[in-house]
Amino acid sequence: MQLYKDASIPAITAGFVAVLVSYSGPLAIFFQAAQSAEISSAMMTSWVWAISIGAAVSGIFLSLWLKVPVVTAWSAPGTALLVTLFPGLSLNEAVGAYLTAAAVIFVIGITGSFDRIIRLIPPGIASAMMAGILFQFGVGVFVSLENVPMLAIGMIIAYLAFKRLTPRYSLVLLLVVGVALAVFLEGASLEGVSVQLAEPQLIRPEWTWDATLSLAIPLVLVSLTGQFLPGMAIMRSSGYNTAAKPIVTVASLTSLVTAFFGGITTVIAAITAAICTSKEAHEDPDRRYVAGVANGVFYLVGGTFAGTIVALFTALPGEFVAVLAGLALIGAITSNVSAFAAEKNHLEASVITFISTASGISFLGLGSAFWGVIFGALAYNILHRRFSFE
Amino acid sequence: MKHLEKGVSLRHAPRDFIRDLNADNASTGLVAGILGLSVGVVHISAGTSAGLDSSFIMIWVISYLMINGFFGLLMPAYYRLPLPMANSIPGALMFAAVIPVVGLEAALGASLIAGAITLVAGLTGVMGIVMRLIPMPIVMGMVGGMLLSFGLKMVSPLEDAIVPASIMILAFFISARLFRKIPPLIVSMVAGLIYLMVTGVDLSGIEATIRFPEFIMPEFSVAAFLTYGLPLAIILVGMETPAGVGLVKGMGYKDAPANAITAVGGLGTMISAFFNLHSTCIAAPMTGVCASPEAGSHDKRWVAAVIAGTIFIIGAPFYGYVVSLLEATPSYFIAIIAGLALMRVITSAMSIAFAGKKHEMGALFAFLIAASGVSMLEIGATFWALVVGVIVSLIFETKDFEFVFNRGALKKTG
Repeated sequence: MQLYKDASIPAITAGFVAVLVSYSGPLAIFFQAAQSAEISSAMMTSWVWAISIGAAVSGIFLSLWLKVPVVTAWSAPGTALLVTLFPGLSLNEAVGAYLTAAAVIFVIGITGSFDRIIRLIPPGIASAMMAGILFQFGVGVFVSLENVPMLAIGMIIAYLAFKRLTPRYSLVLLLVVGVALAVFLEGASLEGVSVQLAEPQLIRPEWTWDATLSLAIPLVLVSLTGQFLPGMAIMRSSGYNTAAKPIVTVASLTSLVTAFFGGITTVIAAITAAICTSKEAHEDPDRRYVAGVANGVFYLVGGTFAGTIVALFTALPGEFVAVLAGLALIGAITSNVSAFAAEKNHLEASVITFISTASGISFLGLGSAFWGVIFGALAYNILHRRFSFE
Repeated sequence: MKHLEKGVSLRHAPRDFIRDLNADNASTGLVAGILGLSVGVVHISAGTSAGLDSSFIMIWVISYLMINGFFGLLMPAYYRLPLPMANSIPGALMFAAVIPVVGLEAALGASLIAGAITLVAGLTGVMGIVMRLIPMPIVMGMVGGMLLSFGLKMVSPLEDAIVPASIMILAFFISARLFRKIPPLIVSMVAGLIYLMVTGVDLSGIEATIRFPEFIMPEFSVAAFLTYGLPLAIILVGMETPAGVGLVKGMGYKDAPANAITAVGGLGTMISAFFNLHSTCIAAPMTGVCASPEAGSHDKRWVAAVIAGTIFIIGAPFYGYVVSLLEATPSYFIAIIAGLALMRVITSAMSIAFAGKKHEMGALFAFLIAASGVSMLEIGATFWALVVGVIVSLIFETKDFEFVFNRGALKKTG
């Protein structure tokens, strides 16, 4: 079997780290949304089950079908939207809005219009946006030095040493050393973690204008600009010229099903995708799709034992995950920063994109990645574009 | 002292100045002078964002113009070459950031040592050796990260000011594209001031105070030296001076006095340290203007630099007006101007650090550490950025270091 032949420890580790990072990072926002919705812990488990299974099924399917590492996840900026909308919004209305959003994204995907938008973005600007998003994670490694100096220094040294000695296994070794350091230095406790199967709960959707305007439409916007756009950009800058059409279509179809169990829109991942599409996953780009499959499998496990996995990952200190994510992304940051610095003919526009994205500003409810591209594209057209009247 | 190049002389400079003065070099000198004056805005916004006292910011800017202008007058007049002098912008930001941590006197003490190092580097001509150990991409990675962390803080008020921000930023880009002689920063400022007046912001409290540099006794501290003095010395010797000298040479002045420029910058920095100023060095952007073909006849372009220096000195005491004007404007105004001014510097830092494909990983570590602003053992991020950047690069990019090649070559031939 092809998959068995292509499988490798670095790729599987990359898939695992990607799941670890999204469970311990973006999932926290989802928890916050759940808190503001005042739902039961059984319902929360169902939500986590739904987003995990959505990411698992679409990710495994797309990675195997396209033979590229497609990492899917739930819309992180979308969950941030939820935090502000609950409890004014009922659960049934939210599910109705999820369905509307998925349908709209499906139409955008199947018509191929998203591919056209993506191709309009100059290469330097796409890389600069990615660098801007990932930048915070890289800086996070060193910011952690203030709170947990020993853990951070230990992990940085481990990373450098493993990367020098066994670059292929540096991530898995870093993970092991990191967990050990977190337990010994920070006293991370794994007690209270018990194994239990998640039970999905069906929610009846209810369609209202109010939910459509306040949730569905913004959800489409932030998912396209905050997830699909950078996600496709990271695929492109890693050398995968996959069209967005199949990915957007499959992700939205998955969302249509998981929505009934409280799963917010399934999208292509941005930050965690960078872990699976970079050199850290495998030297050979054609064998990195295994990382996408592995990522899906770990989501499958995570979803099945939703309660357990959530407890496990939240037991590890936040700084540990911050340092791990930052170090796992160093390669992706380096390649994106040097990719945009090398595009000298529109460097200023790229720097504007980078700064705007890294600044984390948000206007009109849209995140800095979107504005970074808009500002960069504007500067590109004013400063660098050759207007010819011949 | 044998490394110092001899110039023409100062004695006949005034007479030769009048002889060589023409419309081209006069107008270019004016452009360079205005460009240099507009840089003072960076000091003001850096100082404001670091929470420094406004009366200190004023004498800082005035010292910048008077002391740098004084050296900017002497150097071109003595060498008869377009060698305008100013200060280091990355240095200015580090200076502003370190003052609240170590205190003004200690920061100035670190400047004094940095100046002494630069002076020695110029007198002995050894700067090349040091620079091989600390590669430029790593230094510029550190500079880029430091500018970014400070720059992002400066531009954060933008979120609440989308209309004026759009107007000023568009004015900047359009003028950068259309006009070559007027600094786009000035156009952007004028556009912003027009917006303020139209929307009725009260600017009546502006007063023109005339101030002069004040003497201050520097103090010495190890933390200040490692956080700010050492990086400053590296920036002065490794970046500012080679950039300026490279520009002058590129314009056809093959015998530009590289060692003297370094040494005078060092001496100037030492003097600056007693007057609230962080550095003196050749001004690369102004050199680009003064030494360009637009300044007319090749052997008369030095006049442009002298004019730029003169504008500095004349403009200095009245800069209080600009400080007062900027303080009267809403905070976003200064944030936008600072952001625009820094963008260019960040762009060139990123380009040197990452476009060359050498020392990439070292540069990235330096960049991220400097951007994190983390300090350990009471030593600031700029120092750790350089140290860790060099170590990482030594581990992973050994072949990028020049000394490795040299040693290998020697072994082969010997």
